[in-house]
Amino acid sequence: MSEHAAATVDGVARAYGGVPVLDGVSLSVETGVTAVVGPNGSGKSTLLGVLAGAVEPTDGGVEYADSDSRTGSEKRVGYLPQRVPFRDGFTARETLGFYAALADGDPDAALADVGLGDAADKRVEDLSGGMRRLLGIAQATLGDPDVVVLDEPTSGLDPEMRERAFRAAASAGDDAAVVVSSHDLDLVDAHADAVVVLRRGRVAASGPRDRLLDDHGVDDVEGLYRAVAGGSGDRPTADDRGDADGEASEESVHVTGVSDR
Amino acid sequence: MNTPFGGVWIVFRRELATVRRTPGYAVLAVGLLVVLGGLVAVGGGGATGFVPAVVDLLLPTEVLVPLLAVVLGYRALFADAASGELAVIRTYPVSAAAYVSGVLLARTVALVALVGGPFALVGAYVWLTAAPDTGIFATHAGVDSPILFVRFVALVVPFGAAYLALSAAVSTIATSRRSAVALGVLALLVGVLGGDLVVLRSLSAGAAPGGIGGALALSPNGAFRGLVFEHVIGVAFAPEGGFVDTGRAVASLVGWTAVGVVAAVASVAFGPRVDVGVERLRERLRR
Repeated sequence: MSEHAAATVDGVARAYGGVPVLDGVSLSVETGVTAVVGPNGSGKSTLLGVLAGAVEPTDGGVEYADSDSRTGSEKRVGYLPQRVPFRDGFTARETLGFYAALADGDPDAALADVGLGDAADKRVEDLSGGMRRLLGIAQATLGDPDVVVLDEPTSGLDPEMRERAFRAAASAGDDAAVVVSSHDLDLVDAHADAVVVLRRGRVAASGPRDRLLDDHGVDDVEGLYRAVAGGSGDRPTADDRGDADGEASEESVHVTGVSDR
Repeated sequence: MNTPFGGVWIVFRRELATVRRTPGYAVLAVGLLVVLGGLVAVGGGGATGFVPAVVDLLLPTEVLVPLLAVVLGYRALFADAASGELAVIRTYPVSAAAYVSGVLLARTVALVALVGGPFALVGAYVWLTAAPDTGIFATHAGVDSPILFVRFVALVVPFGAAYLALSAAVSTIATSRRSAVALGVLALLVGVLGGDLVVLRSLSAGAAPGGIGGALALSPNGAFRGLVFEHVIGVAFAPEGGFVDTGRAVASLVGWTAVGVVAAVASVAFGPRVDVGVERLRERLRR
């Protein structure tokens, strides 16, 4: 585990129905924004689930830097899954109020931080897709966890909401290690401090963004993606950006019912 | 939140609010009231007294209360798991035991309200319409009394709680809403019919009739029925009792509830590890 790592993933493997989705993944995440990119079915959601403790790996594990100092009554990891899961019938404030009570957080402050202060009394089912994701980001950052895991927080959003969601994620990265998966390579380029490129369940490249760009002689993350994740067949398409559940590209490994986990 | 009980309380409040905001449950309670009221009115028990009303209601109660409990329980734990919210909740400092306890306590409170309300109204109806001596508080055998009806309703609650906990536990292994419904129906059928069928089978296989009381108490329905005969109907008509071993019947209802709660906690806490164990085994077999 590196000196500044908030969490270290060590040799993680995960299979579903005998089909490997992650295989020997090792990496460290530090304070700031770490973007995980890769084709559909490359294992991004599974890796983020493992980091958040939502997915049990078949091999390997995750070590957190604060595992000794934090008490059992503190929240260690914040997590927003790909599909925002909040219950209908509750307002945004009530939803965050539940989580805030568990983590000794302030729901109103968390809503204000993501720009949802005016929507606090709206029911979850009445929020737009973007606002639900912002609510999810607010939930993930409640209790000031050291690691915040956000699975495709910009999926299916319009450009303005994507920017807003990514900015909210990036601002959490001032104090925490924020790990975010995304197909929005331009936003990754603008906000990520480090990049992890996954391909077919393995780490194809990882490290500080600037170093990776220099190493591969490319100008931006999209260039890095093309160079590392494979040819054009692996590049995220417009469908990928608008629909996280879209069909896998020709070269990607897509396991029905698994890739969305 | 500084204590495990704090987590139980927070989950409890959220779950109770969810039930309160689900109109379908209130509709179910109204339906239960209509059915119970209709049975008492048509059966004639309501005009005769509390114990005759209990006799009219006993068999329908053995089906309707488990049905309502399963409706309350089959999605209690499945809903959060299916939506992915359970994965989010588990990142917070709340244990699987606290989460399951909070959910099931809230659903049990809802069960008490949804079942107790209609039964209380039926009891009030009997009080108003039955023969004059039903106002007597019975201390002697052969006398009808509202106390006996209260006892009946008090026995309905642990009976329903057992089905609630079992259906919630079974729902944790469901993979879809449809399978959750199927598992709930299965639990209902096994519970309502299974115990009696086992007793009948053992009798036909040559088991001694004297052991029926003990065997009957092993299933939730048998335990409930035995307790009602022993402490409600039998009080008025058969002072010697002996329908069922009270201790065994109470232990059965408490035990089934505990089995449901423990199974649900284990499933929430260790379910993902079981999944991983299966994958590891599959990997070994493939090599």
